[in-house]
Amino acid sequence: MDKELEHNFVALLEEHQNIVHKVCRLYTNHRDAHNDLFQEITIQLWKAYPKFRGDAKFSTWMYRVGLNTAITLYRKSKRTVNTYELETFQFKIKAEEYDDTEEQQLKLLYQAVHQLNDIEKALVFLYLEEKDYREISETLGISEVNARVKMNRIKNKLKTILNP
Amino acid sequence: MDELELLKKHWKQQDTEYPKVSADAIYKMILKRSSSIVKWIFIISLLEFALWACLSFFLKDTENAQHFDKMDSDYLIIPLTVLGYVVLAYFFFLFYKNYRKISVTDNAKVLMENILRTRKTVKNYVFFNLAFMAITFVAVLYIEFDQDKAFISKAQTAAANGEAFMFYAKTILIFAGIIAVFAAVLLFFYWLIYGLLLSKLNRNYKELKKLEL
Repeated sequence: MDKELEHNFVALLEEHQNIVHKVCRLYTNHRDAHNDLFQEITIQLWKAYPKFRGDAKFSTWMYRVGLNTAITLYRKSKRTVNTYELETFQFKIKAEEYDDTEEQQLKLLYQAVHQLNDIEKALVFLYLEEKDYREISETLGISEVNARVKMNRIKNKLKTILNP
Repeated sequence: MDELELLKKHWKQQDTEYPKVSADAIYKMILKRSSSIVKWIFIISLLEFALWACLSFFLKDTENAQHFDKMDSDYLIIPLTVLGYVVLAYFFFLFYKNYRKISVTDNAKVLMENILRTRKTVKNYVFFNLAFMAITFVAVLYIEFDQDKAFISKAQTAAANGEAFMFYAKTILIFAGIIAVFAAVLLFFYWLIYGLLLSKLNRNYKELKKLEL
């Protein structure tokens, strides 16, 4: 039974692992930290998995556990968040769309997003994943109105960071 | 174009750029131990409970305590000891109950509140212990004043010299000083351990609360 549970979990996570990578992408800046957070999220997902009922989508459930781990449970915030080693992550854009200015712009954008605080990053993450405000508010435990207001403020903040 | 829209476009395309973690690697990962703050808070809290339990246990065996046992103090000391253990059991139960409530699948705010609650339980327990220590000191002092022959004779000498007030004041101040130093050291460790451990959580919790204003 346990073997089966383990097997199912590993298969599901292998399939959906990009969600975890994306959380790590926003909350860490270099590969070691990325891998470290990936591991912690995996452990938290596994610990919570026996209670996963399947009434929610596995991916939705992963958003919650992944963000909670990054925002609340994960300890090593200083070492990972305050150093900007963005270079280690190359921005690969498909060849046919390759555009130097766009790549530059993206780089600046990621840098700007990394300057946001943990909660703001969570909102940006869910926004980028095209979650609606209802789901954002349920994941973070704030009201829908506040999520919407905050999102607008974040957009403005990003504008200010990018065009000082 | 909205800055975030550009990011969103890239966000969806970047699926292929992440390193693919194999099933084997995932198997290995789930065998590893978590290093989450919840685990650390749990360990530190257990140590605190153990520390206070040991402290009262070891103090029982010291020379002073044995000297003290010869005096008629059971009517005060036994109820205090029983009270100490009952309260320890109560706080431990409360702590365990709160700890069980922590679930990574709750929303971020509830999760943070539940973690802070376990921490608060332990904090209350420590405050209780400090108060309890102060009360015990007062009780001990009272019995010393009342029954310790060496102490009474010293007090009488002091009184004969007209320094009774000074003598009592000095004794009480020394006791109060010991408690104050002990409390200060403890609070410093607290500030250090929990400050470091919970700084991120506190910051993010405040940020979430701020959204509700």
